[in-house]
Amino acid sequence: MASYHKPDEKTLQGLKDIANKLRINSIKATCASNSGHPSTCCSAAELMSVLFFNTMRYKATDPRNQSNDRFVLSKGHAAPILYAAWAEAGFVKETDLVNLRKLDSDLEGHPTPKLEFVDVATGSLGQGLGAACGMAYTGKHFDKASYRVYCLMGDGECSEGAVWEAMAFGAYYHLDNLVAIIDANRLGQSEAAPLKHDMEVYRKRCEAFGWNVYVVDGHDVEELCKAMWQAQQVKGKPTMIVAKTFKGKGLKGIEDQDNWHGKPMPKDRAVELIKDLESLIQNPNKKFSPELPNEDVAAADLSAISLPSLPNYKIGDKVATRKAYGVALHKLGESSQRVIALDADMKNSTFSELFYKAYPERFIECFIAEQNMVSVAIGCATRDRTVAFASTFAAFLSRAYDHIRMAAVSESNINLAGSHCGVSIGEDGPSQMALEDIAMFRAIPTCTLFYPSDGVSTERSVELAANTKGICFIRLTRPETKVIYDPKEKFEVGVAKVVRQSDSDKVTVIGAGVTLHEALAAADQLASEGVHIRVIDPFTIKPLDASTILSSARATGGRIITVEDHYKEGGLGEAVLSAVGEEPGIIVTRLAVNSMPRSGKPQELLDLYGISAKHIVSAVRQTFAN
Amino acid sequence: MNVTVSFLGEDGPSLMSLEDMAMFRAIPTATIFYPSDGVSIEKAVELAASTKGVCYIRTSRPENSVIYSSNEDFHVGQAKVVYQSTEDKVTVVGAGITLHEAMAAADMLKKERIFIRVIDPFTIKPLDSKTIIENARQTRGRILTVEDHYYEGGLGEAVCSAVVNEQGFTLQRLAVAHVPRSGKPNELLKIYGIDREAICQAVRKMLSGSANAK
Repeated sequence: MASYHKPDEKTLQGLKDIANKLRINSIKATCASNSGHPSTCCSAAELMSVLFFNTMRYKATDPRNQSNDRFVLSKGHAAPILYAAWAEAGFVKETDLVNLRKLDSDLEGHPTPKLEFVDVATGSLGQGLGAACGMAYTGKHFDKASYRVYCLMGDGECSEGAVWEAMAFGAYYHLDNLVAIIDANRLGQSEAAPLKHDMEVYRKRCEAFGWNVYVVDGHDVEELCKAMWQAQQVKGKPTMIVAKTFKGKGLKGIEDQDNWHGKPMPKDRAVELIKDLESLIQNPNKKFSPELPNEDVAAADLSAISLPSLPNYKIGDKVATRKAYGVALHKLGESSQRVIALDADMKNSTFSELFYKAYPERFIECFIAEQNMVSVAIGCATRDRTVAFASTFAAFLSRAYDHIRMAAVSESNINLAGSHCGVSIGEDGPSQMALEDIAMFRAIPTCTLFYPSDGVSTERSVELAANTKGICFIRLTRPETKVIYDPKEKFEVGVAKVVRQSDSDKVTVIGAGVTLHEALAAADQLASEGVHIRVIDPFTIKPLDASTILSSARATGGRIITVEDHYKEGGLGEAVLSAVGEEPGIIVTRLAVNSMPRSGKPQELLDLYGISAKHIVSAVRQTFAN
Repeated sequence: MNVTVSFLGEDGPSLMSLEDMAMFRAIPTATIFYPSDGVSIEKAVELAASTKGVCYIRTSRPENSVIYSSNEDFHVGQAKVVYQSTEDKVTVVGAGITLHEAMAAADMLKKERIFIRVIDPFTIKPLDSKTIIENARQTRGRILTVEDHYYEGGLGEAVCSAVVNEQGFTLQRLAVAHVPRSGKPNELLKIYGIDREAICQAVRKMLSGSANAK
């Protein structure tokens, strides 16, 4: 059993000095930008000093090295002190700190991964711990490495439910390489945080969630050094350090006072405050070098991942795209050790269980906590350690929308599969139906949105997603649909397929998922009446293959009908409209779910909500009546 | 009246909502208010209190000038024409901060003898398609939308949907195209192409495009 060696007096004084330097730089930077959160930074100063210059093991010249300890600043508004810490470590130029928040500086108001030392963007509270859990899970179970993960949170932020989803996850998976710290400075933004300084309630809550807990004086560097060391000795449980601190600590007249959140120091007071802090520093020129990490992690493998075999379907076979997803995931798992899967207790509905049964060691059950599942996936995917696929019903991804939004700011490459889209799920009813998810994902900047219509194209979506940067969303269907593509068919992001055409097509109909099949059924019915329509499968809704759609529209008298198992706002119809909107002479009729749906048989619902073959036939006839 | 907050330029992208109109437009019972000054925001709050379904009020951080008199009447689904003349060449639809940018652009273009009509939709959902279409017909079908939001699912797509089957309409949309970054509010409006200069440029382009098409 290792024994604790208390740091000597010089080291302790050095850490105190660094804490005060970090305070000074936080004040200077926020004065220069005339915005930011210096009082928030001041409560975290000793925590940051101890973490960066006593506890964590990392290469300061290579912040993103795969062997480094990880640090997540969940309370992202303390960005100035993060930047100050990296300046102290030598990675950021100290003179650059005053460029905080400027248009041409990477030192933004809240941390983004434009900076090498930021793995996940923060600033939207409650999301850092989930990402830290993903990093810790990866370190312990996939990389099997010695790096540790540290996550600094605020007390106000602990009102976010996502924090407690992550707490449950961390303990359930025995993430003893994870240390979270609550900077309990008592004050939130508009008033005190609910638990104020009731440290025993924090202790009991964290213990109740299965964590090892230390309650410490967050401004006592010696206590902090010891707690961090003790955490390293604990096996089987993650550690929470609840640090009692004071907002604005070290700033006379501001410490522990209301109404200082998000306010820079007034210029006339700043000079004096800085002088006071400087007077406390005994060794201004002493430099600390962080301890280097064990180099026990291989560099990330960035090679392309492909399906090991062709999709095993014949044209005409019936297979649900959600099942094809499971099959594809299993196949990719065979191709590459980097592929991991996560699910939110829906694995027997989403078919991620096919991966789970084959590779249980690479499957993370996240239980019914979708926000945390998304954050864990983001954490697992940082530094390219894994290629992560997380699945659940598409409707339940909407509760994780802020995490998804932040994943884009984090430049994450996670892949999300949402099954059971639309009214076509049938009897379960509207609470389970995703009818706004296309709108949701289209509005995410880095997103590629796959909406495959059969088993073959689904397998290729999964393969493409694994190799496509940015967030990938795959929209999957519950009912079985016919395979319409040959197994050898090639698919590309942003390339639509014309699945039915003739020399006398009168209208272009664009559908996806179940509505592509409804469109084909409509085409058959109309053909028997001598009317021909062109049918397009967009394959990806974003990016949308505008050029194929436009040339098809021009060949069919400028007439387009779109039909989607989604509400009319923000989905396939509006995507097509945006693509062709600037072209003259094109008329678009949009069929979509026209009101709040209800339980019923899938085909009944398609009819009732205006998106079945008979409605398409009717719409085609309407375009001539006008 | 100063309204707080979802956007402070320097805070950066983690605090900026650029996809919320898409999110709320896709909610069946939602009414989306996007008031552009202190008077209309008070009316929005009053209307929201008595409107069934989910009501969303999208507000801005920076201070904006008041443009309506306090006895102006507001209704859900009723747009206001805030700038017009008999020689308007393009109808510009903006909201919140971009309505003010559009009005500033109208002032700037006037000096070049280019006249634009500016519409405040007040509610994005339901959208007052009738007012937009009527006014656009008077500006030869030319519409420009400008929004502090991504391209997908917002004001631009809402207007596009509303005018989809009008013949002879030309619609251009200005919106934020990428995950943004920290900076001063007016700097960000500029680099993301949704400020008064961008509006002026887009209007000039639409008019020279029409001229060339003749």
